[in-house]
Amino acid sequence: MIQATKNYFTFLRRCARIAFVGDWRYYTWMGALSVICLLGLNAYCKQFAHGLITTGMSDEVSWGVYIANFTFLVGVAAAAVMMVIPVYIYDNEELHDLVIFGELLAVAAIIMCLLFVTVDLGRPDRFWHLIPGIGEFNFPASMLSWDVIVLNGYLILNIHICGYLLYCRYQKKMPAKWFYVPFVFIAIFWAISIHTVTAFLYVGLGGRPFWNSSIVGPRFLASAFTAGPALIILAIQVVRRVTAIVPNSDNPSLSIGNKPKELSSRAASIADLDLLACFLSELKSVSAETKRGILPSLTVLDVEVGAILLRQGETDKDAFFVLKGRVVVEREESGRHRITRSARPGEQFGEVSALAGTPRMATAIAEEPSQILRVPAETLRKLMKTPAMNKIVHARMAERLMITDRALMTLRGIVQVSMLINVFLLVCEVFKEFYSANLHSISAKYLFFGLHGHHALVPWIWTAIVLNLTAMVLLLLPVSRSLKWLNFTCVLAIVGIWIEKGMGLVIPGFTPTPLGAVVEYSPSLNETLVCLGIWAFGLLCYTIFLRMAVPILQGRLTKSNEGLPDADVSATLAAATARI
Amino acid sequence: MDRRSFLRTSAVLTTGLAALAASLKPLMEMEGFPTTERFMQKYYKEMMPADMDKVLARITNEVEQQYGLRPHVRDYKPMDGVEFVYCLNLTRCIGCRKCVHACVAENNQSRNPEIQYIRVLKMPHGSLDIEKAEHNYNPEQVPEKGFFYMPVQCQQCRNPPCVKVCPVHATWQESDGVTVIDYDWCIGCRYCEAACPYWARRFNFTKPEIPKEKINPEMSYLGNRPRRQGVMEKCHFCIQRTRQGKYPACLEVCPAGARKFGNVLDPNSEVSQILHTKRVFIQLKEEIGTSPRFFYYFDV
Repeated sequence: MIQATKNYFTFLRRCARIAFVGDWRYYTWMGALSVICLLGLNAYCKQFAHGLITTGMSDEVSWGVYIANFTFLVGVAAAAVMMVIPVYIYDNEELHDLVIFGELLAVAAIIMCLLFVTVDLGRPDRFWHLIPGIGEFNFPASMLSWDVIVLNGYLILNIHICGYLLYCRYQKKMPAKWFYVPFVFIAIFWAISIHTVTAFLYVGLGGRPFWNSSIVGPRFLASAFTAGPALIILAIQVVRRVTAIVPNSDNPSLSIGNKPKELSSRAASIADLDLLACFLSELKSVSAETKRGILPSLTVLDVEVGAILLRQGETDKDAFFVLKGRVVVEREESGRHRITRSARPGEQFGEVSALAGTPRMATAIAEEPSQILRVPAETLRKLMKTPAMNKIVHARMAERLMITDRALMTLRGIVQVSMLINVFLLVCEVFKEFYSANLHSISAKYLFFGLHGHHALVPWIWTAIVLNLTAMVLLLLPVSRSLKWLNFTCVLAIVGIWIEKGMGLVIPGFTPTPLGAVVEYSPSLNETLVCLGIWAFGLLCYTIFLRMAVPILQGRLTKSNEGLPDADVSATLAAATARI
Repeated sequence: MDRRSFLRTSAVLTTGLAALAASLKPLMEMEGFPTTERFMQKYYKEMMPADMDKVLARITNEVEQQYGLRPHVRDYKPMDGVEFVYCLNLTRCIGCRKCVHACVAENNQSRNPEIQYIRVLKMPHGSLDIEKAEHNYNPEQVPEKGFFYMPVQCQQCRNPPCVKVCPVHATWQESDGVTVIDYDWCIGCRYCEAACPYWARRFNFTKPEIPKEKINPEMSYLGNRPRRQGVMEKCHFCIQRTRQGKYPACLEVCPAGARKFGNVLDPNSEVSQILHTKRVFIQLKEEIGTSPRFFYYFDV
């Protein structure tokens, strides 16, 4: 128990240390974000001292850009986790590696949500009144108390799921299904609930006809499912890019194709298998008879740094186990090389294409002088007849970081359908407001056309509508299959939805006031700085999460290299992940 | 760690800490930083009489310190067998806004920024459409021809949406029908302000300012004691007066006799008489189902 706790703290300490390792671009990015965070903190301290008068809000428009951002980000958090549905329910392999990125995005988004709600409070010092059991919690009557529960619950759920999966990957251990799968399913349900609860926050107010409409909940979900995956499409491409390795860089060991495939080989002996069993205890359960039987088909390769063991696109039918040294597996996609994993003694590579008989999905290069055991596919199948071996080989198959273009296209499909539904629901809402044209459509009139000479929101909402419609058309056209256009479309969709669902929902609800006065709102400079600070903090969190998660998923940061001097680990990490 | 990296690390750390300190600096401008005692103060309904005495003594001292006069702060409880109701005669109201200012004076509302509980709407004859109301009318003389005036304040709903939405029970309906706020419990989320269909709630966007000579020293805990920055407030039917059998300030000042107030459970009260005999009375935005205790009527 004590050992386990100690191990866990070592893991946390190493993760924390990685957050401070990177190249100059990483430091510049993090430095810039930190500066914006501090500016935001400074603006918030002013607000804390002088009150919300430092914002543009008033008794007439009593919620502003804080709550608008909160609403948008709840959607992002909800949608990010919904990525897990295709993976866990439909076993979609393409999206498998994106689940962690989605959940980490959800964690960052929820942190931002909680900050946005906190800065909106007039008395943040009394936050403890909101803690169930300690304060006075108006549950279940107040939708805000529901929000407190669902948001914090969601945060904990996601931290648990990502934290556990990453820790298992770090330890190169199979995650225990009972310890995370139930939570994954709860998280799916919970994701819908956080956004529905947030919609109900508005829908439940009978005195605000603009919000008091049952379509708000479905619209929230539709727009969330557009903006969330769109953000993930952008985020994972950034991950792909920063984890890419430029060929012909100064480190020849990681460049591809500058060394011929010269491998000196010898026949394997029982001693080699015993050596492998030291790292791969599952091999011990294979009977000595089988071992002797397969021995003639095995070869041991003695390789130099930079030797290429298999190449992406080739078709040969061998799997490999590392006996000594280290092998890095790289994949080329869209002209960039990226490490998908790294194999250490006892670990395998090349087994997926060997077993399936498909072309190699990646290239494997020795990163240190290594000894590799070559196992033909037939022999591997024989070994896998032992249940323990079967289990470990299958478990290891999942250990890779693949962000394929096909995964991006799956996400594009989700964005496409959601955007259509989103626009359809918007049309429903607009029809109801303007065709009936009763007294209650006055807020919509203010939003779309202005009222009594007040037009503050008109340019915004039309921009949003143009952006959303353009994004919808682009998504329907085949042109958005190219990543460049897809990225452009995603940006349009995100900005469009941010306006429509944030300012376009919150402000008209208050205008005109229930007594018919039209008072316009625009965020003050101080308020804007606070918002920028929170966004910067969220991005900072997400960057740090990715900085920790990527090397773990690639197998560069594992329990097995715990003993190495930190400088050494940092150096390999820097080489592997931060050389852009 | 070698000398160079030590120097570099300490330089980064120093810059970081200095930048952090600089960004926290505005906190120094803050007056009235919450004391431990105020931070830990219990919820109104959980306070024992002894706790309440302490809190009232503290409030007395704080007011004395700030405004230089010793107030008389009490926690007035609702009376048994009483349910307050307000009736307002729209035929009589002349739109002079005397009620607005009497209310500000009575209830220690902030003069800067201005907070007022009552909003008088100028409406064209023949319509009750609130969209046509004028809020900022300012003629030489009232009433103006062709218009009538409708003062709106907290309607003291039987089904108050503001109470339902408050996440911390900081606002509730008392047995005499008055919805009150524990100013020391409110977290300032302004959800109640968004929920109110009558725009009756006000928020202290900054520290309220009241000139020393304008302070009303007769105060109640849930009523008119001075509020702090960042909390909600609203009309509470002058509980510091009405729970002692007096009329609300807005009624007393009304020169037209348009305002009537009383106990609806007493069949002989003026409000009971009005509700029984007048043929036309309006509950504002009746369709929302809030069931106000504030009735507008006409002399018909």
